Amino acid sequence: MGDVHEGPRPRIATSHLAQHLGKPVCFVGRLEKIHPSGKLFILSDGEGKNTTVELSEPLDEELSGVIEVVGRVTNQATILCMSYVQFREDKSAFDLALYNEALKIIHEFPEYFPFGVTRND
Amino acid sequence: MWSGHGGFESGYGGAAISGGYTQSPGGFGSPAATQGEKKQRSRSQNIVPCTVSQLYAAEQIDETFKIREVEISQVVIMGIIRQAEKAPTNILYKIDDMTAAPMDVRQWVDTDEAGSENVVVPPGTYVKVAGHLRSFQNKKSLVAFKIMPLEDMNEFTTHLLEIVNAHMVLRKSIMTTSKMPQSLGSFGMSDMASYGCGSNVPVNGLTAHQSQVLNLIKSCPDPEGLSLKELKSQLHNINMTTIKQAVEFLSSEGHIYSTVDDDHYKSTDAE
Repeated sequence: MGDVHEGPRPRIATSHLAQHLGKPVCFVGRLEKIHPSGKLFILSDGEGKNTTVELSEPLDEELSGVIEVVGRVTNQATILCMSYVQFREDKSAFDLALYNEALKIIHEFPEYFPFGVTRND
Repeated sequence: MWSGHGGFESGYGGAAISGGYTQSPGGFGSPAATQGEKKQRSRSQNIVPCTVSQLYAAEQIDETFKIREVEISQVVIMGIIRQAEKAPTNILYKIDDMTAAPMDVRQWVDTDEAGSENVVVPPGTYVKVAGHLRSFQNKKSLVAFKIMPLEDMNEFTTHLLEIVNAHMVLRKSIMTTSKMPQSLGSFGMSDMASYGCGSNVPVNGLTAHQSQVLNLIKSCPDPEGLSLKELKSQLHNINMTTIKQAVEFLSSEGHIYSTVDDDHYKSTDAE
């Protein structure tokens, strides 16, 4: 499968999953629900749309709040998680809606926010 | 060692940069010398927010780096620490912002000073890194003068937007003026807003009025220079108070000096 962490992982929202099937991505969302098996959880993005995240090993810790997931999009438009990180919100709450707006900007200007290294400047 | 280390806010002007370079350990002796000399031509004084992918893609021409024609030297990146390796004189981090493979970021440690410089930021922490872009054997890396854990992740969202804004604005100003913009400060958002505005935009640090006064004074061949009266008679659209203010400013900046009395001035630039 290759280590997805060694290459670009476009930041996406739920609505972009379909365009990234099979590809490595980075998804930030708020934890809505953890499946009792601990191998699946649901995150909602800044537009309130849900994404299912699958784990190869069950979760071994309590998760809450805003989670950033790195993984590969499956053909079912879920994300197979390779790693995740919890955003700290101890000092201030993370504005997920604003992050979603920022995603729109960085997607609109790939020449100023490239994912991946190209040398054709 | 890194005298600028504690002074992130104040220490990124030209003087601090060259001071830091000449003291830098780590074998980059020759870049330091040429970058010091290059300071007087219009090299970048900015600190530019970038993605790691942009840094990897930056072209290197002699000692300068360019991302889409925008010259960069000092940059800010934000990412998560994937790895931290502590050595006696430095800490080597691998910092990942998702745009490419993690980047090597080296932070030199002051071996005499006990304190925050010696504390390794743990992997899994999102940080803001300010540093200089380096390339060695075709591999890019950063030498950080400041690494700060992010306390508010909304700063990260801001950083994404700042990257797009900075590169767009810097590129536009290069394309239109074909010359590096001067003293953008952090990267000039407020300056950029007024960039196209008209008569009171500073160019070379002088307003239009100041420039007009200076040019007239420069063009005067008399040994006693140009008097305030003569300036007023030649500059119909500027009132005496403004002329006096311009003269005072130019004099304090060293562009002009008074001659026979406080009403007569000559230019310090030989014409």
